[in-house]
Amino acid sequence: MAAVSATAVPSLRACLDLAKAHQRAGDHARAAQWALAATDAGDDFAGWLGASRVWERARPHLPAAARRARVAVLGSYTTTQFTSLLPLACARAGADVEVYECGYGLYRIEVLDPASGLRAFAPDVVVLAVHEGEVDLPESSDDPEAAVEAELARWTSLWEQVRAATGARIVQHNVVVPAEVPLGHLAARVPGSRHAMLQRFNQRLGELAASEAGRGVSVVDCERLAGAVGKRAWTDPRYHHAAKQAVALGSVALLARHTAAVVGAQLGLARKCLVLDLDGTLWGGVLGEVGPHGIAVGAGPVGEAYSAFQRHVLALKAKGVVLAVCSKNDEALVREAFEQNPDVLISLDDVAVLKASWEDKPSAVRSIAATLGIGEDALVFVDDNPAEREAVRELVPAVDVVPLPADPSGYVRALADYPFFETDAVTAEDAARTEQYRARAAVAAQQEAAGSLDDFLAGLDMHAEVADLSPENAPRVAQLIGKTNQFNLTTRRHSLADVEAFAADPAWTAQVVRLRDRFADHGVVGVLLARCEDGADGRVVDVDTWLLSCRVIGRTLEDEMLRVLVERAGALGCARVRGTYAPTAKNSQVAGLYERLGFLPRGADEDGTTRWELPLPARVETPGHIAVSVAAPVPARRGGGTEHEDAHEGAHEDEQGTRRTVEVAK
Amino acid sequence: MSVDERMQQVVREVIGNDDLVLRDDMTARDVPGWDSLAHINIMYSLEAEFGVQFSDEQLSSFQDVGELRRFLASAAG
Repeated sequence: MAAVSATAVPSLRACLDLAKAHQRAGDHARAAQWALAATDAGDDFAGWLGASRVWERARPHLPAAARRARVAVLGSYTTTQFTSLLPLACARAGADVEVYECGYGLYRIEVLDPASGLRAFAPDVVVLAVHEGEVDLPESSDDPEAAVEAELARWTSLWEQVRAATGARIVQHNVVVPAEVPLGHLAARVPGSRHAMLQRFNQRLGELAASEAGRGVSVVDCERLAGAVGKRAWTDPRYHHAAKQAVALGSVALLARHTAAVVGAQLGLARKCLVLDLDGTLWGGVLGEVGPHGIAVGAGPVGEAYSAFQRHVLALKAKGVVLAVCSKNDEALVREAFEQNPDVLISLDDVAVLKASWEDKPSAVRSIAATLGIGEDALVFVDDNPAEREAVRELVPAVDVVPLPADPSGYVRALADYPFFETDAVTAEDAARTEQYRARAAVAAQQEAAGSLDDFLAGLDMHAEVADLSPENAPRVAQLIGKTNQFNLTTRRHSLADVEAFAADPAWTAQVVRLRDRFADHGVVGVLLARCEDGADGRVVDVDTWLLSCRVIGRTLEDEMLRVLVERAGALGCARVRGTYAPTAKNSQVAGLYERLGFLPRGADEDGTTRWELPLPARVETPGHIAVSVAAPVPARRGGGTEHEDAHEGAHEDEQGTRRTVEVAK
Repeated sequence: MSVDERMQQVVREVIGNDDLVLRDDMTARDVPGWDSLAHINIMYSLEAEFGVQFSDEQLSSFQDVGELRRFLASAAG
């Protein structure tokens, strides 16, 4: 037996190669099977991506999964990778899911906005994939308990809003307490430190999720996962700063697997029964050779390892996992070992089905399922012998097989890492209540949503600063021009040199907008570049480029920018503002912007480009959620103006050339 | 496998194109699917494959495939 146990578990790479080979041969079922096996073989990110692709291609050819669900991922960081691995991870958990990824950093808005993609998607499950930076707690607090409760209220009300808006079950990622602690070890005894408050936050979040307030909320304990892989492996600051990856890509597969396990538990997919081998699995040695008192368990390093494994198995039983034994042994001898060796911690009373015989294991496993009256897909098979594992995997594919390592000291970890015994406290009764809640909530949501989105935006305490182009901000402006796809009216990719040329050209007027709110200074997130032209029917300001970074979409910043533009255009003596919308694959969300802002249609091109005009003077009403300050040295030195902007300084706050900062009332 | 082959395999896996052949004079622009998101995925996966760590600057500063390949060859060699 020792000789066989040297056989390694197939690597992720080997699983993936097999999956691809089967796919090329047109065997979709096998391709999918190996793609799913790859997810058990490791957390390598590229490998998971490859397996996801194989699985997605095989998916249309597969029989319907036991459960289907629509899963929306609402994230506070770049969750694209997580979202792309989630369907494969959920398939491994037994669920066929469609996923929706909320726009970056927009989750609170998408929940409140009745017209959001989230609402249209109609999720069954909402995953709140948030990171520590999203928790609004100070570095220190005089009243930490109150601070944590206040912050928790923000999250429980988000849960309420999600339920009201979608009726979905919620899967909440808790936060990973950073390993970098300014206060050092002192933080451990100062309850008001952010470190201690974050720990308390996690603890209370779990309590609330389990309470009436959290009905339908499950928690993925990211703090534990990160602790297991190491917090420095969980978060890589280079990727966090470069690409807003709060979870390092090497940990995303782990997070997807565990999130899928929790989603699966909500859908009732958790495995129910643990089927255990005996010799070499529950104890060391061959019972038939060494007898009931010769097996290795209890004392000695090897015996202790088996005892530790038995204790873990008993803990699983205590949370509701049914135990079965499947051993090639003499039944009388097995019973003797359980009953007479005091170091065997598991008793026969703990075992629901005892199969000790010389029958082949796949047959024995099937008969265990039949005896218990549960499906084979409820079983998890644990055996130290790779040949037995392979036989069961091959002949009873619905059974999950946990690969044990060669040494018993690694057994606890191997079984603890197996995630599909996850259980959800919610019963069938609760599920029915959720349905009723959903119907009732759908009506209430329509009535309340408009008001509550306004409340949300007003509560953000947003401040915008509008500046002109400058040598300092030109690189950021060029960067935004180069990469902004969604809120971008014309998607004209001007270079840095172009931007610098506009800055020097008095015909151009620019808005470079910074936005901050009570959570963050978002930096420069809005750009509007317009050019003044004199035509036969008067002067017109033509909007060449108008974009917003996706992290501030939905904040009403565009309304404020239009107001500033109209004021400036008026000061420049313009008769009209002209706008253009040029459609791309990604900017459809602004197709109706000019119409919404009161512009009149002025024709369309064959490629879908539309032209718009706003006659001046015009009165621009904004929602008033953002306090706007304009620092506006507009260098529109037309007709031989002076070099010195100050020379134009006048009484009018919006007159060209002023440097005055104007705080516009709400 | 050589450095070239390992690098190509990583990029193929991340981009999802098993027929992709990398050349030294290529840039991200020449490879369909190598967008900013894929770039982050590729850089991370190369780090995992070669056991190296790019500097903050290197995450976005390699000029072409050749420069990246030469770095990996020297760092992993």
